[in-house]
Amino acid sequence: MSDILRIESLSFAFGRSKVLQDISLTVTSGEILALLGPNGSGKSTLIRAALGQLRGHGKVTWQGRPLRSWSRRALAKLVGYLPQTPTFEPSSRVMDVLQLGRSAYWGAFGIESPNDATIVHQVAETLNLTELLSRRMDELSGGQRQRAFIGRCLVQEPIAMLLDEPSTFLDLRAQVELCQLLRELARQKNIAILMASHDLNLTANFADRICLLSAGEVVSQGSPNQVLTPEILTQAYGLPMQRIEREGAAPVVVPKL
Amino acid sequence: MKPWTLQRLLLTLLGSLLLWAILAGVCLMLGSSGQFAWPDDPFVRGERIRIILLASLVGAALASAGVVYQALLRNPLAEPYLLGVSSGASLLSFVWTLPAVSTVIAIGGGIYVGQQLAAFIGAVGSMFLVFGLASRRGRIEPVSLLLVGVIVNSINGAIFLLLTYVVKDPATPGGAISFLVGGLQGGADVRQVRIAAILVALGWILLLLVSGKLNAAMLSDAEAESLGVNVQVLRWGGLLLASLMTAAAVAVSGPIGFIGLVCPHLARLLVGNDQRKLLPVATALGAGLLALADRLTASLVAWHWLETVVPVGVLTALLGGPFFLIILMQSQRRGAA
Repeated sequence: MSDILRIESLSFAFGRSKVLQDISLTVTSGEILALLGPNGSGKSTLIRAALGQLRGHGKVTWQGRPLRSWSRRALAKLVGYLPQTPTFEPSSRVMDVLQLGRSAYWGAFGIESPNDATIVHQVAETLNLTELLSRRMDELSGGQRQRAFIGRCLVQEPIAMLLDEPSTFLDLRAQVELCQLLRELARQKNIAILMASHDLNLTANFADRICLLSAGEVVSQGSPNQVLTPEILTQAYGLPMQRIEREGAAPVVVPKL
Repeated sequence: MKPWTLQRLLLTLLGSLLLWAILAGVCLMLGSSGQFAWPDDPFVRGERIRIILLASLVGAALASAGVVYQALLRNPLAEPYLLGVSSGASLLSFVWTLPAVSTVIAIGGGIYVGQQLAAFIGAVGSMFLVFGLASRRGRIEPVSLLLVGVIVNSINGAIFLLLTYVVKDPATPGGAISFLVGGLQGGADVRQVRIAAILVALGWILLLLVSGKLNAAMLSDAEAESLGVNVQVLRWGGLLLASLMTAAAVAVSGPIGFIGLVCPHLARLLVGNDQRKLLPVATALGAGLLALADRLTASLVAWHWLETVVPVGVLTALLGGPFFLIILMQSQRRGAA
């Protein structure tokens, strides 16, 4: 497994307000690194800085090459990004959303190649979206819609995906299904996934590693077992926590009320 | 699913051309005779062709500018007239023709190019003013944008009226009034129309070239960037091009409202919201429908509904106003949902 994304000593401020301070992390191919932390801890900012949409101090490299050396178009062929609330035209169809994901590959006048259509169909099949291709986005359930957006990332043929709280508006079943899908994609397609989340326990089950942020700083980084301890979580969230061990499964952490 | 190939692009262009040709054909049979018939008189035919081509040029420019404004501002209500871009272009275009100004400029022989340039400066100036006043923390609220557009329109209108009083130029139809309500009967200068045609054609080709990127630009900035689009360059480049095309059109016709609003929405009903299809179809509709509106104003006189030909801008405003209200209510409902 090789490093796909490497962030070293990254700091970022909005004006005088420091949002990220001295962040370092790596994401390797085929792994899911979950970014956890309270609201305002800098998860979304870190993702956008990794994409070059926010310019911070420090070093960001993709496949060993500095971020600045990548053109937007080249990076779009490498990295898929899903924001917290993805935008869509209510009347657009799933097919339109998937097609749009290929836009970095389009030529002048938006001309598509036969390969673009092939990739869209392959991704639709992988994500069980084939039946939904002609459905309008506003007719879909939250889970189906999120799958379409994951599809938009996948048609970019990415080696990495940066997902900002992708399960936020989903019900429990859809959350689990989405996490299962992401794990499959990481394992089968060797995609590196950096995913911001608020769900400690879901993350404990699906992430390979966790990077816990608080007030823009890394509090702890490691396996779910190492990071999700009452001491570390209390430090990050300012809330007394307790951990429930389960045999053969990830621990469960809950606030001590 | 059919990919967007060169063949499909050419077919869409051909279909759009056909759509325009049908509308233009209908227009050719409408005129001040009041009869719906092919004009046998070569002079009448030639005159109608001239005015249809002029209307088509202006309509095409305004409709394509509307497509671009709506996509890049992510605002279904955006169009050059409502945003004050047309009135800004019209005002500076008028200032350019004032005796004091034109005398100075005529010495340099640059009156024709100069008026287009003045219109462009007016259009861009109004655009920056409206966007600057309507944006908060980089976000432009649709309703604020319209409110500021209305204010800028009325300021431009007030300056225009003030100038007409100062220079004592009576607001007669086909004269100075055409800077306030656009029309096509004023007999635009051939050289000026040629320059406008070149500017509109060049701008349109450039817009079609980036029409695929316009699809991505309708997403949030962060998503569009992640799809490989340089949003800032595309937004400002697109808005400037659309303003240039608007200015070129306004310099020959005066401000004509609602074509830039109505035609993109009508085209959307025909081909959906893919900007690669929308731009050619909306352009064809803009060209054809403005020509049709102009021919209707001429026919109204023949049918004794009116005593004199009114500027076509009056008719587009009368028809486009209610359409605007429908779109406004739809977007408010969508916002509330």
